[in-house]
Amino acid sequence: MSVDRRLRLWSLMVERADGAAIAVDHAGAVAVAAAGVDTVAVVVTLAASPRESVYASSALGADLEELTTTLGEGPGVDALGDGPSLAADLREAWCLARWPMFAPAAVGLGVCAAFALPLRVGGVRLGVMDLYRVRPGPLEHDHLADALLLADTACALLLDGPGSLAGKRPEGASLQHPEVHQATGMIVAQLGVTAAVALMRLRAYAYAHDERLRDVAANVVARRIRFHAEPVAGGAQDNDEGD
Amino acid sequence: MPNRSPVAHKITMKVTEMAQTLLADVFIEMADTLVDDFDLLEFLNRLTERCVELLDVAAAGLLLTDGQGTLQVVAASSERTRLLELFQLQTDQGPCLDCFRTGAPVSVTDLPASGRWPRFTAAAAEVGFAAVHALPMRLRTDVIGALNLFDVAAGPLDEDKVRLGQALADVSTIGLLQQRAIHRRDVVTEQLQTALNSRVLIEQAKGLLAERLHVNVDDAFTILRNASRSHNRPLSNLAQAIVDGTEPLPAATTTATKKASGRHRTTLT
Repeated sequence: MSVDRRLRLWSLMVERADGAAIAVDHAGAVAVAAAGVDTVAVVVTLAASPRESVYASSALGADLEELTTTLGEGPGVDALGDGPSLAADLREAWCLARWPMFAPAAVGLGVCAAFALPLRVGGVRLGVMDLYRVRPGPLEHDHLADALLLADTACALLLDGPGSLAGKRPEGASLQHPEVHQATGMIVAQLGVTAAVALMRLRAYAYAHDERLRDVAANVVARRIRFHAEPVAGGAQDNDEGD
Repeated sequence: MPNRSPVAHKITMKVTEMAQTLLADVFIEMADTLVDDFDLLEFLNRLTERCVELLDVAAAGLLLTDGQGTLQVVAASSERTRLLELFQLQTDQGPCLDCFRTGAPVSVTDLPASGRWPRFTAAAAEVGFAAVHALPMRLRTDVIGALNLFDVAAGPLDEDKVRLGQALADVSTIGLLQQRAIHRRDVVTEQLQTALNSRVLIEQAKGLLAERLHVNVDDAFTILRNASRSHNRPLSNLAQAIVDGTEPLPAATTTATKKASGRHRTTLT
C-alpha cells in the first residue's frame, strides 16, 4: 500500500541525505533508481522567473533542462500547465509534432523517454520533476507510483523549506484530506496572500503547534482558527469567539 | 407489484420515456468528451447525477486510483455521498474498496444485515443509506476505480439497472481516455492526475468562496457549480481563476442554491 511505499522512499531519502537537512535534491536523487531512469532534474517556478533548475542528478539532466528553457518547449514545459506529460518514446510522430525542436534535440543527447511530473497542489504551482531515460518505453507501474510519490514529497519539501522538520517526514501534499485544501482557500481570503503562501502558513502552523495538518485544517474550516494579516510570531491566533 | 392499475402503468410508461431521454442526454454528454475544452470533472459529476436519475437510486459516487495505490473520491451526486466515500477511504474498509480490489461488482442489499464493514455501515446509516452497489471501472486488465450507487431502502438493484449502471461506469472510463490519445497507455495516468489535481483546486476555491461569502463549504460548492454551469465554463477553469484572484466572485443567491438541490431526486435528512 501507499504508506509502505512512502516509508520506504523516505528512508532512502534519509540515507541519501547522510545527516544533512533533507531537501528536494534528495527526492530527485532517490527518483533515479526508484523510477528506473537515467537522470532526474527538479525545476521550480516562482512568480517572477519562469523556470529555475534547482537540482539535476547528472550533467545530462542539467543539459536537458537548459535545452527545455532555451527552446521553451518539452514535456517539462507542458507539465507546468497541463499536468503530467509522459513521453515513452520521443521519436514517435506525436512527440515530434508536439515538441518539434525539443524532441530531436533530446534524442540527439541520447535520451528516448521523458516523463515530467508537475509539483503542484491544486492551484499552487511549485515546479516540475523531470525524469529522463535513455531506453524508450513507458514507466512501469511501480516505477510510476514511486515517481508520483516522490514528486508529492518534493512538493511538501518545497512548501516546508529544507530541514524545517529536523529530519521528520513531512505530511504529503496530495488530496486525501479535502479540509486541508478548503482551509488553504480560506486563508487566501483571510490574509490576502497567494494559495502557495496560504498553504505554507497552514503547514507551518501545524508543525509549530505539533498538530496534525488535517486537524488544524478542520479547525480553520470550522472557523475555530483564523489567520491574521498582522506580522505576529507564529502567524495565526486561536479565535474562540466564532463569527 | 402485482395488480398494476392503469394509472400506475401510465406512470411506468412515462418513466421509461424519461429514462430514454436521459440516456440520450448521457450520449450527448459523452460526445462532449471529444471537444477540446472538455471538463473531465464536470463530466464525471454529471455522470453521478445521471446515475441517480436513471437508476432511481438515492446517490452515486465515483472513486479513482491515484496511481500510487490509493483511491480518491473524484465525483459524487451530493456532498453527503462524497463525505461517506471519503470516510470509506480513510477507514480503509467498505464495499467500494472491496469492489476495487477484486475488480468484481459488490452488491449489499442490506448493510446492517450483512454484518460486514461495521464502521462503514454505521457511517452510511448516519446519512440514511441502507444499500450499496459498487461497480468496477475496468480498463483492459486494470481496475482504475469504482462507481458506487447508494439507496435509502434495503433491497436489490434489478438486473436491467445493474447492466445500465455498468454501462455508465464504462462510459466514464471512456470519458477518462478521450478519443484523441486512445492509443497511448500513459494517457490514463495523465488524465487521472489532472482530475485529482482539479479536485484539490475545487476544494481550495470552495474554501476561498466560503470565507468571502460567509457560507459553509457545501454551499460554496453549489455556488461554484452553478456559476460554472450558467456561464458554461469548466469547473476547474473557474476554480483556478478564483484561486488566482483573476475572477470576480459569483454571488451567493438563494435561487442558485435551490436550483442545485432540486436536481437530486432525494434530499437526505
